[in-house]
Order: sequence, then C-alpha cells, then structure tokens
Amino acid sequence: MTALIIPCYIKTQWDIDCLNRLLDTVQNQTQFFDKVYLIDDASPLNYKPSHKFIEQIILTENGGPAKARNIGIEKAISIGAQYLLFTDHDCILDKEWNKQMTSFLRQSDFGAVGGMTYSWGKTLLDYYHEINGTLAGKWLLPEKKELWYMPSLNFGIKSFVVEQFGFDERFPTAAGEDVDLCLRMRSKYKIGFCPDAKLWHDYGYKNSISGFNKFMKLFKKYKSSSATVYEGHTVLMWDASESIYKGNMHESNLQP
Amino acid sequence: MSLIYSLKANQPGIAHVINDYLGEMRPFVKRVENPLLVAPMVMLKTIEWSIYSWYKTPIRRFYGVKGNELIYMITNACNDRCPKCGIWERPEPKEQHLMISHFINCLKRLHHNLYQVTLTGGEPLLFKADVMLIAEEAKKLDVPMVIVSNARFIDEEFLTRYKALGHILVISVDSVEREKWNEFRGKKNFDIVMPKIMLAKQILGDQLRIQSVLSKESAEEIPKVIEWCKQHGIQHNIQFYQDFGAYNWHNPSTTEKVNYDNDTPCAARKNICIYPNGDVVKCFDHRRIPLAKEPLGNIAKQDIIEILCTKRSTQVSKIMKTCNLPCKNMSCNKPQTLLFN
Repeated sequence: MTALIIPCYIKTQWDIDCLNRLLDTVQNQTQFFDKVYLIDDASPLNYKPSHKFIEQIILTENGGPAKARNIGIEKAISIGAQYLLFTDHDCILDKEWNKQMTSFLRQSDFGAVGGMTYSWGKTLLDYYHEINGTLAGKWLLPEKKELWYMPSLNFGIKSFVVEQFGFDERFPTAAGEDVDLCLRMRSKYKIGFCPDAKLWHDYGYKNSISGFNKFMKLFKKYKSSSATVYEGHTVLMWDASESIYKGNMHESNLQP
Repeated sequence: MSLIYSLKANQPGIAHVINDYLGEMRPFVKRVENPLLVAPMVMLKTIEWSIYSWYKTPIRRFYGVKGNELIYMITNACNDRCPKCGIWERPEPKEQHLMISHFINCLKRLHHNLYQVTLTGGEPLLFKADVMLIAEEAKKLDVPMVIVSNARFIDEEFLTRYKALGHILVISVDSVEREKWNEFRGKKNFDIVMPKIMLAKQILGDQLRIQSVLSKESAEEIPKVIEWCKQHGIQHNIQFYQDFGAYNWHNPSTTEKVNYDNDTPCAARKNICIYPNGDVVKCFDHRRIPLAKEPLGNIAKQDIIEILCTKRSTQVSKIMKTCNLPCKNMSCNKPQTLLFN
C-alpha cells in the first residue's frame, strides 16, 4: 500500500495552478496511489482542489513542511501504508513515478529512495539547476551505491523507517529538514536511487532576467535552515558526496 | 547545495577558500555541454558559492565549526564526601563500569564534530590509567580535553604527561581555608590537596583552572577563592549549586535573581553525555523531562551516531531547547569562552 503526501502553502494563483497541474499528473499515474494526502499548512489563500481522490487536511496554524509531512505520515501509517512517497505542489510527476518508486522500495533493502529530478522551465536559471543538481539529491562517494541525501520533493520511505526517523519539526521552512532526516536515517538505513522515477520541478522563473531575484532568494533560503543540524549526526555530513545530474545518474551499479 | 562536498574541518585561510572555490568550479564546468554557456553558468555558480560562503550558518554547517561537547561521567565513585554532592553515595558496581574501548570508539566516531571532551564524575582520577588513554586519544584526534577533578590523586608524573598533551585540568575548590575546606569535602585533606594544586599550577601553568560551586553554604567562601586565584594567576569560574540528590546544600539567594537567558546555548544542542555504564543522555539532569527519563541508548551496545539520530533523541532535543530549567545556569550550558576569567 502506497500513500502520497503533499504538504502545501498556497500564497498565489501560480501556486494553485501548480497544485492542479501536479494533481493531474497524480491522477494519470499508471499505478494509482492507494491514498493521497494534501496537507495545507494554513495557507493564506483559499482554494478547493477539484480532484476528488485526495484527502485534504487543513491545518489551523502554520507549522512548516516538516510538521505538515509528519501529520501526513501519521495518517498514512494509521491506515497501514507501507510505502510513503513525498512530493511538492510545484512538481510534475512522470506517469510511471509511483510505479517506479514503489517497486524500488518493495524490491530492495533500501530504507528510502529518491528519484531523478529535472527542471521544468527552459530558462538559463533552470538549466543551471539541472546541471548543478540543486534539487536532485547527492551520491555518497566514492562508490555511488547509495545516496547522501535526497530532497523531499522526490522522496519515498518505508513506513517502519519513518516511524523511527520522522521529520524534525524544529525546521520552520522548507530548507534543511530533508537533509536532516536523510542524515539521521542514514545512521541505520541506506537511501537508494531510482533514475527511472522521473519528476520535474518548476522553479517558477518566467525568464532568466526576471527570475534572477528568485534564484538568489532560493539559495538564501537554503542557508537559513535552523541550527538544529548541529546535533551529533552532523558527523555524517563529513561523508563526501556529489550532486546528481543526468550526466552521472547512471554511473552507479546500484540495483534494486 | 554545494556540488561536491569533500572538505574536512578546520581548513582555515585563503588557500582553503581558493581550494574550495576551485573544487566547486572544476567539476561543475565539465557538466556544461554548450561552450557558449560556460561563462553564464560559472557566474551563477560563483553567486551560489558566494551566498553559501557569505553566511556563517552554512559555513559552520558544511565547513565545520565543531559543535558538540562529549561529557563522560567516567565514574560515580569518589574519594571525597562532599555534602553538596550525593553522587559518591551511589558508586556503580564494578561489572557495570563501561569498558574504556567503548568510550574510545565513541570518541573516534564523533571527533570531527567535537570541540571538547570533558571527563567528570565522581572523581575521574580514580581511573587514572583510563583517563590517560582518553587524553592521549583525544590528542591524536585533535580534540581538546577537560578533566574536572578534586585533585586528590594528581601527582608530578600525571601532570607532566597531561601538560604535554595540552589539555585543561579543572579543580573544584569551594574554600581556601582549612576548616571550611575540610567541612565542604567531608574529608580532612586540605593539607594534602593544597600542595598538589600548587604543583599543578607550577607544571600546568595556564592549563589549570579552578571552579567553585556557589550555594548558601559557600557564599562567604567564594570571594576568598576568587581572590586566591587572582593572586596565583589561575582562571576561575563559578558554578551555581544544582541539587543532584544530596539535598544538603541550598541555593544562594542570589540565584533567585538570575534571569535564565534564552539565548544561552542549551545543553541539548551541543552536549552528548555518557554515564559510567555507557548510557547516553543529552543532559545529566535529564530526569526532569518525562520523555528523557530513560537513556537514549548505550554505547556498549549501539553505535553512538545511531543513538543520536533516533526520533526520541530529536524530540528530547526539541524539548530541552526551551525547557528553561534551573540547570540552564550550569557550566555545561555555556560556551567555554564565557566560563573562565
């Protein structure tokens, strides 16, 4: 049984459009999700998704994506979901995404899995993210047989693993909480990589000039993640890693 | 997020910065297939690199200011009988005492992120051979070490070896007058220990510190200790009295006026505490928090990293970050730079 968890914080019409686009691709999966949770993190904008297959949970107070995902995790585990997949509202799923992610988790010993993330837009900034692997996760060096981490926009985890290592709700924004989870869970389990589980992320750049400010803000946001990563597991940050892009996505011999 | 991360801690200077920049750029440029896009891509990568280098948080996070203190209560046993402290009444059974190899492994696992390892007790020097093994391993791993001792078992040989390792020795002194000293320690050893402190000053020099516990009972003595330390050029620190089960001493009236500073670094964020049997907690006063009553794990049975990464460990840290209990005034909650003067 697979559950999809989508935390969201809807501020603009663009966010609503993104969400609807994502839900269309969720609906068009070759293998349906058993349950789809949309956790609204007290969005300032009212909206009502027309997709009937989702269970929308509206939080009364904004608590950040870590808290929203934990609520989804609790719900999913309570109905017996074995595999929990995560994405964000500004993503577009390949129609095989669920099938690939779930099969990988089912057939492997990995505790979690990440898929291949591409940029949706066609600006220079999008191209930069594509080759930089900004949101594509990282190989653990030198073998590249497992991941150092995978961002939560293209991430799946087994229920018994996430029961032991939930998201740390001290992270107030969408920055650092996924790195933290991956580092902690890597103390006991491994994260695999499934290049066939494809997903596109829309950074929202209209063009390379007007998008530049957004580009700067994105990296500033990533630096702002809470100091909670100063815990013992930061030792694991010393492990060498390399960001994933299409040029090295098949370099490993990793098999499910 | 940096493209390739393989740098180690403490690589200071301009050479580090240049190496870091080139280390990012070289593999990145190879990823650009269209030669016309190399320049704009390098510009964007430089911007990203600059943002991450400019702000302290990611520099500290990824390039390693060491954030943790490993505190090992090596034993509950003590040769003194201080009424302020009840720990000596509960020495651990011999069979429960942690094998030193487990602690050394723990130190090795954590050393990249340790700014200090602290040995406390009981009286740590009851296990002098183990203490020296830890001190030597800490030196090899480039981790500064602090021992908090009553000084009863220090001698010239120990001090000379300890001096060479460059570590710090903190001696607990609540009075410099014979009668009060003997009363506070529950043993008449003023005339034995005082010469040892002088010997420690002579051999260790600036590596010696004195720490006093301020309570209602010791309040009149502490100013004399401070004056004595000034005369002898020894750095001194005051620790507010904290009851760990002795119930014989009392908080001084002054501590009631202390404002608990929310900005003071909290134990949860930096401390990794090990009991004599290897149990791991985030704070030795953990029993005040229901979720933290039971230890997080035991280093004789589990890897320390695995213990620290558990969900409960994270939850305990979250609670402790804002628990604001009286123990927040203790030395272990403060950075070393604020302690001694």
